[in-house]
Amino acid sequence: MGSNTTEKALSMLRFLPRVCLSNIRPHPNSRIRDKRGRGQHGGDKHGCGNKGSGQRQNYMRLGYETGNNPFYLRFPHEPYYQRHHLRREYPPVSLLQLLKFIELNRIDHTKPIDLVSVVNTGLYKLLPDQRQYGIQLTDEGADVFNLKINIEVQYATEVVIAAIEKAGGVITTAYYDQHSLQCMLNTKKFFERGVPIPKRMMPPPDAIEYYSDPAKRGYLADPDKISEERLVLAQKYGYSLPEIEKDPSYDMLTERKDPRQIFYGLHPGWVVNLRDKAILKPQDEELLKYYAN
Amino acid sequence: MMSETVPKLRTCLLAIRKFSTAPPKVPVESRQLAFPPKYQKPRQVWLENFDTIEEKKLGIIDLHPEIFAANPRIDIIQENVRWQSLYRYVSYAHTKSRFEVRGGGRKPWPQKGLGRARHGSIRSPLFRGGGVIHGPKSPTPHFYMLPYYSRVHGLTSTLSVKLAQDDLHIIMNLEIPTDEPNFIEELVRSRNWGPSVLFVDDVDIMPRNITAATDKIKHFNLMPVYGLNVYSMLKHDTLVLTRAAVDLLELKLLTSLHKNDVKPCAEKFKLNQV
Repeated sequence: MGSNTTEKALSMLRFLPRVCLSNIRPHPNSRIRDKRGRGQHGGDKHGCGNKGSGQRQNYMRLGYETGNNPFYLRFPHEPYYQRHHLRREYPPVSLLQLLKFIELNRIDHTKPIDLVSVVNTGLYKLLPDQRQYGIQLTDEGADVFNLKINIEVQYATEVVIAAIEKAGGVITTAYYDQHSLQCMLNTKKFFERGVPIPKRMMPPPDAIEYYSDPAKRGYLADPDKISEERLVLAQKYGYSLPEIEKDPSYDMLTERKDPRQIFYGLHPGWVVNLRDKAILKPQDEELLKYYAN
Repeated sequence: MMSETVPKLRTCLLAIRKFSTAPPKVPVESRQLAFPPKYQKPRQVWLENFDTIEEKKLGIIDLHPEIFAANPRIDIIQENVRWQSLYRYVSYAHTKSRFEVRGGGRKPWPQKGLGRARHGSIRSPLFRGGGVIHGPKSPTPHFYMLPYYSRVHGLTSTLSVKLAQDDLHIIMNLEIPTDEPNFIEELVRSRNWGPSVLFVDDVDIMPRNITAATDKIKHFNLMPVYGLNVYSMLKHDTLVLTRAAVDLLELKLLTSLHKNDVKPCAEKFKLNQV
């Protein structure tokens, strides 16, 4: 049954006069009285006081301390937070949240999961303008994670990788540059622009090492070395590595994007026409060479 | 003693059966809720007929409690009514400031020597006949957008109020046999449907007869589901929905209540943002 208040209110209404335009009232004290600039309370000095910079609207600058050395100028350059505004951020998604999304049908785990699927749930927001570069998968829920998924994130720790591989899934870490991220966040809006899908750029120098490391399941690493690392991790954490080769959804689990590819099933250079439901592919050799690079 | 009462009970029951209304001869399918509520019971209303003046109950319809048994928030209803009146309102009041009042370009008398107060213009606010400071300027719009959920909850609250106060009726469709206004007037009067009635259908093209009948009558109005609003529902005493309208209304309102991309809806109305 509905809450007690609702039930009570609805049963009270049966005996009260008909609710109409003339007997509705705002919430008590919700309407603030307009401060008119006339009369005793709003008029005369109009809230500006007497004399001084307040009334003369001639204020001192923010931080000024009437002549002495102000706080914001007292200290010399302190390089503790140097380049902090340029550091990359990875807003987290926990394994538990991911499990909830899949179990509540917000994400389809029978298809490869990437940033686009998580953003499309509407419950995860990424802001590339604020130096946010993708998903960081955290280990909360690692002990209960039991689904076979093929997931692509931007950062994951060893525990998370172990949890996903123990369940029989596949995890990859991949880099997306800001331009690609803007395309991925609102795919409908991007396709409506009618511009060719751009090619994904390589990671910056300080990130290339991470994404080429098989231990981190980087997308630029050697697949053979990744298989070795899977075994190493299974031995470290003490679980038997499930054999994906014998899995019926092997094709789905091993589906991976090309380092230059942004969307599954779409290649850079293609133009998606939503209205006519058609894809236009470049024919020119120069273009093909550029996008295939 | 028991031997006397039991035959009396039997005759009583027989009498009741003889005088009660017969069960509907044409069984109307009970309505299956598209998104059944998990923890609440659906509310039930009679499905009434519209083709005769006399009221005939055709069956019982289930209504979703999230829409028709929502918390009846009178303050949200008031906010909606205020918003509906005010968002289109443009104030054309205008007062002239000192620069708009005719004259006042010349310094009225010299600065010094006269013993009078110093002035630069005879149309300054200090002067009689001078300009008004901070007065109304035409045209001033009073547009604002009520938050998304306030508007959705306004609709659900009003529908719940209508149902709770027995002012909601569900009919099969808006087909009537004649296009005489008398038919509708008699029908409404005999069924105690309140002086003013709002008929809501799912599409905006209504059957010919009802359109002709209600054309001249100002207190019977026809409305499609997309035009349903709090002000109209309160202004009309009774709300009559067709079955198709109920389906569409439930679908739309439940989607609005449970969608997870509300932000884009509000973005286009953002004003005065830096």
